[in-house]
Amino acid sequence: MELELGQARQTFITESQELLQEMESALLTLEADPACQDAINSLFRSAHTIKGSSGVLGIETVEKFTHHVENLLSKMREGEILACKENIDLLLQCRDHISTLTALAADGIEVLTPEIEASGAALAARLGQWLAAPVEKKEEKQAKPPESRHEGPSSATDAWHISIRFGQDVLRSGMDPVSFISYLSKMGEVVSITTLFDSMPQASDMDPESCYLGFEIDLRSDFDKAAIEGVFEFVREDAVIHILPPFSRVASYVELIQGLPEDMLLLGEILVKGGALTKAELEEALRRQQDAEGGQEKHRIGEMLVAGGSLHPEIVDAALDKQKKNQSIAGREASTVRIDAAKLDALVDLVGELVISGANIDQHSQRMSDAALQESASVMLRLVEEIRESTMKIRMVPIGETFSRFRRVVRDISRELGKDMDLVISGGDTELDKTVIEKIGDPLMHLVRNSADHGVEGPEERRAAGKDPKGTIRLNACHDAGSIIIEVSDDGKGLNKEKITAKAVAAGLIQPGQQLTDQEVFRLIFEPGFSTAEAVTKFSGRGVGMDVVKRNIEALRGTIDIDSAPGKGTTVRIRLPLTMAIIDGFMVGVGGSPYIIPLDMVMECVELPASEKSAADRRSYINLRGAVLPFVRLREFFAESGERTGHENIVIVQYGGTRIGLVVDELFGEVQTVIKSLGRVYREIKGISGATILGNGQVALILDVPRLMQAVEASLLAMSA
Amino acid sequence: MAKNVMVVDDSASIRQVMSLTLAKAGYDVTEACDGADALGKLTGQKVNLIVCDVNMPNMDGISFLKSLKDKPGYKFTPVIMLTTESQESKKQEGKAAGAKAWVVKPFKPEQMLEAVSKLILP
Amino acid sequence: MEMRTQISGNVAEVAVTGEMNIYNAIELKAALVTAIDGAEAVELDLSGVSEFDSSGAQLLLLARKECELAGKKLTLAGRSAPVDSVIGLFNLGELFGSARQGEA
Repeated sequence: MELELGQARQTFITESQELLQEMESALLTLEADPACQDAINSLFRSAHTIKGSSGVLGIETVEKFTHHVENLLSKMREGEILACKENIDLLLQCRDHISTLTALAADGIEVLTPEIEASGAALAARLGQWLAAPVEKKEEKQAKPPESRHEGPSSATDAWHISIRFGQDVLRSGMDPVSFISYLSKMGEVVSITTLFDSMPQASDMDPESCYLGFEIDLRSDFDKAAIEGVFEFVREDAVIHILPPFSRVASYVELIQGLPEDMLLLGEILVKGGALTKAELEEALRRQQDAEGGQEKHRIGEMLVAGGSLHPEIVDAALDKQKKNQSIAGREASTVRIDAAKLDALVDLVGELVISGANIDQHSQRMSDAALQESASVMLRLVEEIRESTMKIRMVPIGETFSRFRRVVRDISRELGKDMDLVISGGDTELDKTVIEKIGDPLMHLVRNSADHGVEGPEERRAAGKDPKGTIRLNACHDAGSIIIEVSDDGKGLNKEKITAKAVAAGLIQPGQQLTDQEVFRLIFEPGFSTAEAVTKFSGRGVGMDVVKRNIEALRGTIDIDSAPGKGTTVRIRLPLTMAIIDGFMVGVGGSPYIIPLDMVMECVELPASEKSAADRRSYINLRGAVLPFVRLREFFAESGERTGHENIVIVQYGGTRIGLVVDELFGEVQTVIKSLGRVYREIKGISGATILGNGQVALILDVPRLMQAVEASLLAMSA
Repeated sequence: MAKNVMVVDDSASIRQVMSLTLAKAGYDVTEACDGADALGKLTGQKVNLIVCDVNMPNMDGISFLKSLKDKPGYKFTPVIMLTTESQESKKQEGKAAGAKAWVVKPFKPEQMLEAVSKLILP
Repeated sequence: MEMRTQISGNVAEVAVTGEMNIYNAIELKAALVTAIDGAEAVELDLSGVSEFDSSGAQLLLLARKECELAGKKLTLAGRSAPVDSVIGLFNLGELFGSARQGEA
């Protein structure tokens, strides 16, 4: 059980992260529109679920704290407390605290440090202030009338006596006396049981869905009264139950008989039979009862119960209506499956292999002039291609959720720094690979913080500059020829070129007086240890910044660019590959070794013209239809030593607005490639992003075009310098 | 034949814990993530008992209960509602809709199992 | 659930197969009452009952009561394990113990 619960715990962690995300969105929505009941409901539900799940899983830290939060939310939902800036702020902090606690629980830590404990207590106290009368968890036991302790002799039986009359509706509620009595018989030894059905009317009046049963049971059991009562907890309101402990006073039995609808004599006999009473005791009791009988009508249980649980037709109608509305949404929801990412990766890997061997079979079939085989092979190839596409789609996730996380960041910074700004999100439904999404979060966070912190000015400064005092930060995502572009832009003050240059000089990154283009200046901020912020704030500018962002983006085979205009704002543009696992490649041969170039970057292939050949040996650019095209000889770049073929080809690749030529020996054409990452050891090799295994088992290296370009540009710079 | 218990809760972890506990005790278990999902899954399968959360998106427990009463072949299916002590008003609403059995969240898995076995043994 | 009534002489032989529970209690009751009304004696065969709940037990009790009132004879000719277990649990053996057969 332990191990399996661990698994459920894992599910809880994932689930609560989503719920916390929902809470945050709801709180931010509420901040914009404090009357939004949907947001309040969603908030409550999230907190409620977190509390419930953590309780079931025994994560007390989370459960206890969330309970306080839920109390406030419950009042807000009931409309007793209205949402306002202050309590939304408090709830956001509480949300963060729950997040902390869950994260700790994920690591198995449930003993809190004094700091966390204290901040939790402080938040709980503030929550308490909102709740006019602090809601206390009162374990109010149902007040039971004191057991009648009449004077008199005790029964000699060591068994419990249970007398129960089921109400007419119990069967209709799905409660079956058979179940209760079966359960009861598991709690001890049923010494005697008598089924009573005196209240059942004649056939014409008998409703077979109503219950007319009653039981007198003697049970020998070590359980206590609460446990025995507990058996009937779900019918407590729909049945009349009396439980007499062993050795109860005879008088208690008599009182019992008097309280029951059946004939006293009959009941008495049942008790005698069960051993609860002796014959003599019964006679004595009956005599006394006759004395007391004042002719008053004994109330029948049935009547008492009819008043209970009747269904109101209008409620049913409303439910049906709602059900119809919900069905369309439900259809979509129900089709969601949560899959372990590792399983998905394994599938993608397999599909990758399938693509390769499919291509291999196709090649072979082309060689054998068997039309039927060729046709089968091509059908299979098409199907494999479709499988590949669907598989890749499984991994695609819209980036919107990642984007909306930043609403909070922007809000917090605005508060802290007294700025006023909006976060405008567009292209949130742009999908990209899950792995990429996971890794892009941190760099994006950094960029958004930078914009909010350093980019957008305070309202005064903005007003003075003739701008809208309210700043705007935009997050945008879109597809662009095999890549995804993510832009973080602001309408702030823009990058200060002078400051950057001065700083770079001070840091020894450039020479004083060195002439740089704007682009080059901006790119300096991606250098390690570079930070322009004069005051380091809580949110950004700790000096570990843009260089880390850049490295992270590059690790995703992406690039990052920056554009800025003084007084107008800054735009950071990230370009990422659509997927990490399979690419359409263009295979070339260099010195007998195969290399793969990502197909979406290949613009064209030209033969290195003889006219240029001799010149190209001296300089590293050619004249391509009147334009200068820098190129790199892969043979030299990778130090390939194989035989040189007669003529050389140039593959022209384009990336992020730059074109270069790659000089290769042979052109093989398009292939689909599954990227296998090279081990840690090869990570630093420039110009290679991975490897793939070809259909014939040969290994081909995949070119990292952006980094190749950088290398070429660097060498060009070096030459021109 | 083992009795089939349907577990309806929007929390995957709670479903998981309940399923494990019930399956260990010898019940068959069907999971559903909300009322609408549960109604869909009910069709064409025998369900002996339903354990259902009150607070769920896409048809909450009480609307589900009401719809259940109108569903041929299921109107007498016993339902255990899961609730929290802070939901007294929900409980009243549920009672009016015919909910008899309640288990208070957070519960220990054994408590839920106990409630289920009172209404139906595996 | 399926209920078959066969009249042989003045005895109604009623055989129930399948589920005998709250979902078909109304149907069963009607059939049972008709059978009792139209015969001198009733022989109830429950050996084919796969599920049996309190409402089923109630119907048995009702049949018995009706027969008693009309001075007719009710015999439980056969009972399946589910029926037997409820009869045992409710301690109704004495009431239906006079089964001619099938009391395994």
